[in-house]
Amino acid sequence: MLHGPDARLRLITVLLIAALLPILGQLVRLQVLEHSQYQSEAEALVSRQYSLPEAPWGVIMDRNGDLLVGNVPVYNVGAEINLITDTVMAASVLAPLLNRSEEELLATITLTESTQTIEWRPLTNRVPAETAQKLLDLKWTWITLSPTWERYYAEGAMACHTLGFVNARGMGYGVQAFQLRFLRGDSMQRVGPVSGDTSPLPDELMGGSLTPYPGTDLRLTIDRTIQAFVEGVLDQAMVDYKAAGGTILVMNPRTGEILAVASRPNYEPHRYPEYMENGQEAIFRDPAVSVPYEPGSVFKVITVAAAYDSGRVDANWTYNDLGKLEYGGASIRNSDGAAYGQQRLQGILDYSLNVGAATLSTQVLGADLFYKYVRAFGFGQTTGIELTGEASGIVHLPTDWDWTDSHLATNSFGQGIAVTPLQMAMAISAVANDGVMMQPRIVMERQYSDGRIVPIPAHELGRPISAEAARVVAEMMARSVDKVAKAAQVPGYRVAGKSGTAQIPTTGGYDPQQVIVSYAGFGPVPNPQVIVLVNLERPDVPANMRWGMHIAAPVFQKVMSRVLILMGVPPSDLRAGQ
Amino acid sequence: MSVLWQQKTHGVLKRQEKMQRLLARLLLGVVITTTVLAGIYLTVAASSVHTARRLWEMENQMAAVMRDNQGLMAEIARLSSIPVLQERSVALGYQPAKSIDYLYVGEP
Repeated sequence: MLHGPDARLRLITVLLIAALLPILGQLVRLQVLEHSQYQSEAEALVSRQYSLPEAPWGVIMDRNGDLLVGNVPVYNVGAEINLITDTVMAASVLAPLLNRSEEELLATITLTESTQTIEWRPLTNRVPAETAQKLLDLKWTWITLSPTWERYYAEGAMACHTLGFVNARGMGYGVQAFQLRFLRGDSMQRVGPVSGDTSPLPDELMGGSLTPYPGTDLRLTIDRTIQAFVEGVLDQAMVDYKAAGGTILVMNPRTGEILAVASRPNYEPHRYPEYMENGQEAIFRDPAVSVPYEPGSVFKVITVAAAYDSGRVDANWTYNDLGKLEYGGASIRNSDGAAYGQQRLQGILDYSLNVGAATLSTQVLGADLFYKYVRAFGFGQTTGIELTGEASGIVHLPTDWDWTDSHLATNSFGQGIAVTPLQMAMAISAVANDGVMMQPRIVMERQYSDGRIVPIPAHELGRPISAEAARVVAEMMARSVDKVAKAAQVPGYRVAGKSGTAQIPTTGGYDPQQVIVSYAGFGPVPNPQVIVLVNLERPDVPANMRWGMHIAAPVFQKVMSRVLILMGVPPSDLRAGQ
Repeated sequence: MSVLWQQKTHGVLKRQEKMQRLLARLLLGVVITTTVLAGIYLTVAASSVHTARRLWEMENQMAAVMRDNQGLMAEIARLSSIPVLQERSVALGYQPAKSIDYLYVGEP
């Protein structure tokens, strides 16, 4: 039967085909019928979480592009300890590099039980690039270096409250915490098919770039030069007047841009874990936006502006100042206890008359109208600035259970009402800016990693008073400086301003000794370009000197005279010459 | 007459040879095609893996350059920070202006 080559050839052919058929059948089963099942099983087998190079956070610059917060590369160091041949020698070499004791390090890198699998242990975190290079130069394959980032504050503690920080859990302070979703870069870990050395497989790489996108850069409205100057002046004032704290705020009333804001006590943002360990979290709160205070006589500007804008009084309105006013059970007196006789609105500002302010709120405006203006000026509500922890202040309204008639009288000169320095500056900015109150801004623009630049436009917050009322009150404030506030006068420029001296509330009353002195003003007049607000808390000076006019006004003068030059504002006489 | 002679004379052997030649060519074609396809597949797969590896290396290089860049930005910021600039200015003999004279330049 199987005689001859033809028959044998046929038999071999049949056998080969018979052998191929099951293979083909299996191929069809694997590749067609059960394809999806095997594919998912294969993916589950190779799909692992793999690490990508961590993306840097967005940097923060000042308005001129100078870096305020950047990133420096640092490295987390680990060791695959079962690959170490001489642990004693390794510990002695690594100890000085990693700033750890030799004994401690030896205990870390010594394997207690023999194991077939790789045992990795962390040695230290966040070593600088120079140390990482020294470790690489050792050419020890068991050392692992994982690059990561550390925030770098180029100017140290400068503008610390504004810049803030963010901890590992994403909590923090300042603009960094507020803008975290923009600043933070792409996630450092993804899930996908990986090879033996935990690097992504070709399909994953072909799908697109695996380099994470850096975070969005922020350009702030802060001017680094003005900020540095203001910080220096505040430090000097703290020493000169032995103050416990203080704030200086500089802003542009036309745009609402904060040009500088400095507060004391301050801190170094990169050392925030140390402060937290020492229980000093309170230092992180920004006094400019988070800590309300009683503004004192600076608030009289608001009362006078409200009265004039209501149309119930004009610049020639007069009242008879008897030095004392009884209202709602409260006895209102002028700060010096003196009676000033017939006075106009100008006199209330010139001599800072409590009786005059209370007369306006109680007899001219009334509670409804007075508090309507207080709310319109933004008190008792947040301004919406891009900083965390903004306080709304405390304004007792007639509808509140704890409001009494006396509030109407005392609130008129800034007592019994709590505001933040930013709120006070905002309200004064409405007077400086023809009645328009602009939204305070700290972020000028966002610069995305794909090159897009998104400017944050200036935004009007409200018009608490008319342009005419604003101009009249601004002129009154300027005359007040010309006439009585010599300490606030700026050579070459006409400025407007008002001082304040406020007692500090305690349980059941006011501290008889301690005060907060302040001065708020703007310049030049007309056409103001800048507002400066100075607050100094608990100055330790003789009682007769413990007044805003004596302490805060000279600081205001120092800041205003330099800021106008730094902003390129020509002197008033030169402007008049135009 | 032998069977072989009869097959030759009746063309049977010729047809068989032709058939076998065709079958051999077909098999050879299949083998060559399969080999070529397998070769192409292997080349593409190897190239893909190689490219992916290169990509991964380049991604890592990019990350390293990004780290260097950020480090240099921080260094520039340190060198141009206000305290450093002030110190340098004082060393160069600069001091705050005691009086500033402004010149009004009218618009043309």
